[in-house]
Parts: sequence; C-alpha cells; structure tokens
Amino acid sequence: MSKQSKSKNALSAVLAVICVIYVLPVVVVVLNSFKQNTYVKTHTFALPTGEMWAGFSNFIKGMTFGNYPFARSVEYSVLITVASTALILLFTSMAAWYIARVDSPICRAVYYLCVFSMVVPFQMVMFTLSKTADVLKLNTPWTIPVIYLGFGAGLAIFMFVGFVKSIPLEIEEAAAIDGAGPVKTYFQVVLPMMKPTLISVGILEIMWVWNDYLLPYLVLDRTKYMTIPIHIQFLKGSYGTVDLGATMALILLSIIPVIVFYLLCQKHIIKGVAAGAVKG
Amino acid sequence: MATVSLRHIVKIYPNSNDGKKHKPTNLKVTEEGVLAVQDFNLEIADQEFIVLVGPSGCGKSTTLRMVAGLEEISKGELYIDDKLVNDVAPKDRDIAMVFQNYALYPHMTVRQNMEFPLKLRKVPKAEIDQAVDQAAEILGITQYLDRKPKALSGGQRQRVAIGRAIVRAPKVLLMDEPLSNLDAKLRNQMRAEIIKLRQRIKSTFIYVTHDQTEAMTLGDRIVIMKDGVIQQIGTPQEVYDDPVNMFVAGFIGVPQMNFYDGKLLRSADGKYSVQVEDAVIELSAEKQKNLAANNVAAQDVTVGVRPDHITLKEVPGKMIKGKVDVSELMGSAVHLHINACGKDGVIIVPTLDLKGNKTYSMGSDIEFTFDGGVAHVFAKDTQNNLEFNAQ
Repeated sequence: MSKQSKSKNALSAVLAVICVIYVLPVVVVVLNSFKQNTYVKTHTFALPTGEMWAGFSNFIKGMTFGNYPFARSVEYSVLITVASTALILLFTSMAAWYIARVDSPICRAVYYLCVFSMVVPFQMVMFTLSKTADVLKLNTPWTIPVIYLGFGAGLAIFMFVGFVKSIPLEIEEAAAIDGAGPVKTYFQVVLPMMKPTLISVGILEIMWVWNDYLLPYLVLDRTKYMTIPIHIQFLKGSYGTVDLGATMALILLSIIPVIVFYLLCQKHIIKGVAAGAVKG
Repeated sequence: MATVSLRHIVKIYPNSNDGKKHKPTNLKVTEEGVLAVQDFNLEIADQEFIVLVGPSGCGKSTTLRMVAGLEEISKGELYIDDKLVNDVAPKDRDIAMVFQNYALYPHMTVRQNMEFPLKLRKVPKAEIDQAVDQAAEILGITQYLDRKPKALSGGQRQRVAIGRAIVRAPKVLLMDEPLSNLDAKLRNQMRAEIIKLRQRIKSTFIYVTHDQTEAMTLGDRIVIMKDGVIQQIGTPQEVYDDPVNMFVAGFIGVPQMNFYDGKLLRSADGKYSVQVEDAVIELSAEKQKNLAANNVAAQDVTVGVRPDHITLKEVPGKMIKGKVDVSELMGSAVHLHINACGKDGVIIVPTLDLKGNKTYSMGSDIEFTFDGGVAHVFAKDTQNNLEFNAQ
C-alpha cells in the first residue's frame, strides 16, 4: 500500500469516528422515541424491541400532554421561523449590498458593528433584552422576528458582504446603463445572483431560529405563546417527573423538518451562480 | 444618430483623508487630488467611430465611463446631441456599453439578457421579440438564445454583450476594451465583425483599447492619450504619418519606430538635413516647408524612422552602421533586430529583396539608410515633433 493511500485510509477512519459521534445523539433520540418510558433510562442505547416497543404512543402522548395544544406551538414556531428568516434575508442582503458597494466611513462602521455583534454572547444581553422587549411590545410571535433580525444580522451581513464583493461591479453598471434604478437592479440583478448565499444563510438562520429555546423563553408570554422547544420543556407531570419517551418523540418531530429542508437545499449551497457572468 | 462633445472635461480623484497615499503614478497631482483626465476636448460627429487609445492608466477608460455616466465629471461639460448630460443618469443618456468582462446577467438566458434593457423601457412584447431576433441574427447567436451565459464560449459571450447593447439602437455605443479577453484569432475575427456591425447600425461609437492595431483598423479618428492628457487626435493615417511627439510615434505602428540621437542641420540657404552618426540626409520638400514655417534652429534632436521605411540600398555617404542581434523570418518580411548608434531597433526587409542574397546571422555588420521624406525630427527636451511644434 502506498504512503498516500495509507494516510487516506487513516483520514477516512478518523472522519468515520467523527461522523458516528455526530450522528449518535440523533440515533439515541430516534431509538428512545419508540421506547416505553420506563426503559428510556435503563436501556438507553438498546433497540426498542419486544416489551420495550411503544409504537407511536409516545408521539400521541407528547402531542396531547398538558393544556397547551401542540399544534399551536408548531404554528408559532413556523410563524417565527419563516418571518424571522425572511426579514433577515431581505434586510441584511440589501444592507450588505450597500455596505459592499459604498465606500464610506459610516458603511465601514456599520459593517464592523455587525461583525462585532457576533462576538457578544447572548447571555450577556438577555436580561436587558427581555426587559426592552417588554417595553417595546416585542413580546409576541408577530414581533419577535424583529429581535431575531437584530441577532441574525451579524453573521448574515458578514456572509453577504463577502459574496457581493465577489460579484463584478460591471454587471450592476450594465444594469444601470440598461435602464434599471437601484431597486430594479437589486431585485432583478443582484438578488438572483446572491441565490447560493441566500440559501446558505437561510439554512443557518432557519436551523437557529427553529431550535432556539432561550430567546422565546425569555421574551414570550408562556401562558399564551409557546414554540416547540418550550413546549418540549413543559412535558412535565406533577412533582417534576418528566416523560422521557414523549420528550424524545417530540424532539424527533421537531428536527425532521430541518433535516428534510437541509437535504433538499444542500446542492444549492455549493453551486456558484456567478459562473459564466464574466471571464473566468 | 448623435453627436457627442466633450468640452474641457476633467476628472479628479480627491486625495483621501485617511492619510493613505495614492499609488505612485505619472498623473499630475494637485491640491484637489489626482488628475486622471486633464482638459479633454473632443467633438464627435454623428455616426463617427472614435477610438481612445493609450497605455494602461492613461485615463481612456475613465473618459469613457464619464460619457457613460458611471463616473462623475469633476469639471467640464458633456453634450450628447447638444444636450448637457453631466447630471443625467446613465439610463437616460440613451447610450449602451460593452464591457471588457462581458458583464452578462448570469441568471438569465441569452434572450433574457438581450430583452432586459427593452423590458425596462416597457417596449411592447412583439417589438422586443423582433429586435432581439434581429440582433441575434446580425451577431450569429440565434441558436444560443435559450442558453445561459456560462454555457457559452468567450467569443459567444462577447457577442451576447454586444447584442444586448445594440438591441435598443442607442444613440451612442460605448465599448471598453471589448476584445482584450479573447484569444488572438478570435480577436481578429471579432474586429472584422465590429467593422461590419458598424455599417449596419447607425450609432456613434466610442471605443477604448490599448491595442494600436484595433485603433488603426477600427477608428475613423483616433485619440491617443497619456497620463490623462490627449496627445493627438487624428485619422489613423494622420497619426501614423505625422505623429506630434515621440510618444505617439512610438505608440502607433508595429514594430515600434526606431529612434536615434542625431543633429538637425540648417545650411546657409536654409535647407534642413538630419545627421545620424556620419550620415547626412536631406529632408523632403514638405518637411523643409514645415520646419521653415516654425523657424526651427539647428539643434541636437532625436530622429525617428519607422522600421519599414529603412532600406539596405547602398547610398554613398548616407549609410548608418549597425550590428544584427536577431533575425526573425515573418513570412513576407524579415525583421532584423539591430543595434545602431547605441540604440536597439528593428528593420523590416521584404523577403523578396533578400532572395539570393546573404542571410543575416547574429553579430554580423549591417549598413542601412532612410529617405529624407520618412524621417521624423523630435526635440531633445520636449520630445515634440519639430515640424508641428517648435516648442
């Protein structure tokens, strides 16, 4: 065996181990969501066979537990995720286009401010934030996307600015000469070219908002509005007992949409749309 | 369909406040900033083909971009069809532009690319289809209309870019080095196509290039620029025959003009001749007249002679000695790279003249001369052609 293929095999082995480590928690969730509650703690890694098999009873239990309907949690999660991601994509891509194309001290300041916001941990600002959200009435599922826009802007602007800088300016100049104003240039020329970055930023933001627990927990009125992660947290009986089987079932339900979405979109992440626009 | 006049156009890039120094350049720097284009004056006639030519950084693209409206004009006035357009947006100037890197919209098909300017102008669908089909036919890209730009070759992409520009019959068609991304063969082919295109559409053309061949073959008139300043404006023949200074003389013509240190002599009866080493060559009657009109005094000068104007014919008393460095057979002619009077230069000898004669090996001695009608006399200090500018 040559030296090269040896090191290749070694690398494959290391990557396989890393793969297993990553997939393991998901496998544990899948296994235990079909297991009787009592066996979750005792036989965590066993297959749900024989008397351990619970069928879909955990799912039904999880969805019907407590007074708050699970369907409504799903509705709010979808609403918040879709609205937040849409807001982030639209506003940050526009802002990034301006920042990348207009060379002024203000643009540079805004850019560094956005990038710096990624450095600040959420825990540092969360209490002042929840107070501010109350005062400004941002504590409903319809207004919380504004807060997400603020937190998501840093990464999104960072990624969009990098991409816009790689688009040749001549394409926008050609559009200006062809008769497009800034709005038409943005929507008909720049935005379609940004598609790969829009999709990658979109996936990151969707996964983050959909799975986010702390922000809605702190900001929303939990008696009225719950998202799926909060709903799962409240799967507690009296005296604080937790139905682990039902919890696992709901976790599985909550990650399925994200996984499906990711699989559908992954080819777009890699594909470069700008190929062929200019000599390359 | 349109005249264009540029009057005292100036482009200044202001000095930045952040303490960053501009890159070292030959451009003039004033307190206001770097002068990229200085006092540019040009009247372009309707349907004329003007070529702006010069080395990189000479301000030719900046000038074109000012006409397009992509760069602000710092000073001066720009008129298209006698209308002042300094503050008119690019889209309202009725111009079209072809970029060096094509600048096609990558997410649209060829047809959508070409339709785009017409759609934005809300032209009826039937008219759009007709215009696109016609332009595609002219450029031979009909079969590619449904492809995306990335599925096309460089030459095809540039055709699409030209198609997008001509589809709305603009008053002025601007081209910014459109052929420089193509390989040599394709470039020659596209150059011929542009000449044909020019006869079919009735636009005024402004074409920027650093390639003097393109300038000579395409332009009705050529504008030669250097360091933001116009050096000469004239027809290709004029700038080739009568360059106003050493820069133009050296820039136009391939291979480059040969320059030798020499003397301009004036005899007692006012006859001018040039002396290079021991050879004394009397200038032609026309040159005599021009020099006399400027009352040029005898002085040290630089004598310029084009490689194809040099002959190896023996003329006693007028021969200049040199040594052959390299001999290149180009087919119809042989290019002899020689060193004479301490300067490197090139002589073009038609292959027919050499038939049966000796070949020139490296290091062999050679003697050559030139006629008094083809010598250009440049002042040592200003480098101006003394025939046209005695200063």
